[in-house]
Amino acid sequence: MSAFDFPSIYNFPPFFTQQPNEATWQTQAQLWISIILSYCRFYKIHRLDLSDALTTELFYNKSINRRLKLETLQSIIKMMIKQGLAEWDPPNKKTSAFIYWKKPEEWATSISNWVSENGLNNSIVTLYEIAHGEASEGTEFHEIDQAVLLKALDVLVKKGEAQTLQATNAEEMGVKFFGTG
Amino acid sequence: MGARESKITPQDRAILDLKVQRDRLKKYSKKIQLVALREKEIAKEALLTGNKRKALLALKKKKYQEVLLEKTETQLINLEELTQTIEFALVEKEVLAGLARGNEILKEIHNEISLEQVEQIMEDTADAIAYQNEIEELLSGKITEDDEEEIMQELEAIVEEQIASEINASMPKVPDVELPTSTKDDIQSKVPPKKEEQQMLAA
Repeated sequence: MSAFDFPSIYNFPPFFTQQPNEATWQTQAQLWISIILSYCRFYKIHRLDLSDALTTELFYNKSINRRLKLETLQSIIKMMIKQGLAEWDPPNKKTSAFIYWKKPEEWATSISNWVSENGLNNSIVTLYEIAHGEASEGTEFHEIDQAVLLKALDVLVKKGEAQTLQATNAEEMGVKFFGTG
Repeated sequence: MGARESKITPQDRAILDLKVQRDRLKKYSKKIQLVALREKEIAKEALLTGNKRKALLALKKKKYQEVLLEKTETQLINLEELTQTIEFALVEKEVLAGLARGNEILKEIHNEISLEQVEQIMEDTADAIAYQNEIEELLSGKITEDDEEEIMQELEAIVEEQIASEINASMPKVPDVELPTSTKDDIQSKVPPKKEEQQMLAA
């Protein structure tokens, strides 16, 4: 796999420091958001642990020896949450967050399409099968985070297009998609 | 909630349990593969440092993992087969139910159509057709009987007129040309015209 191609702003040292001017900061944060989203999409990352992420190349540019501060990243994530592009996980702590380079509704649509394409309507599919099974290989939701997957399925359940059910041991989950496709 | 719950049948739960079991086997076989790979690495490293015993042990472990893997795969196939059989049986059941429903409806429709009714309708239709024919005969019969002869005469007259005009149209050519040939040839020349007509024109 080729490496992620960072935009040129990534090599601009002040980009890693929160700018005091409000307007500048807004632009800076938006740029960061787009980098985070495309980076996570590229590596299929669904959940960022903030302090861990700060040590990775995403927020630490070794070539110019600049890294983002935790508070700055938290402010960026807050902005993403406002835009529906992220969510704290767990909700009351600001240590890690889901990154929605696709929103749960969008995931729901892709899964629903995949179900129709593979004729899985009205049959039982396990969550493991959706996220790690051979049938989902090559789809964007292959290796999806379990919690994000559940959120996406929840969208379908609310629409009445699917129903989740628990296996006898209650740890494993399955889902039945109804015949809409 | 109650309405939604009803969409999940006990069969669904059984299938889910089977599939969960299958997933677990898959995870297990993934793990075994990893372990086997690691044992191989360990063996390689041990050989590099000259620890033959350790390498041998690692390889033995690897062999054992491979046997396990094979067993797991057989179980996986069994599970998949069972799940697919159940799913197929469910499909068959639905097909059967569909057929039964179709049959019922067909019966209902048949109940509405009795044979006597059909016979009655067919008879009525035949009567109506016969009546219609009678009307037609009556209407058309009057015209033909009275006028048929007249029409035929008119037709003949027109035909004769046409023939006469055709002959007249081609006739005037004949006396204009001095021909040593007999009238027989003239008539022949009309039938296959090409050559003789050209000759005539040349003359």
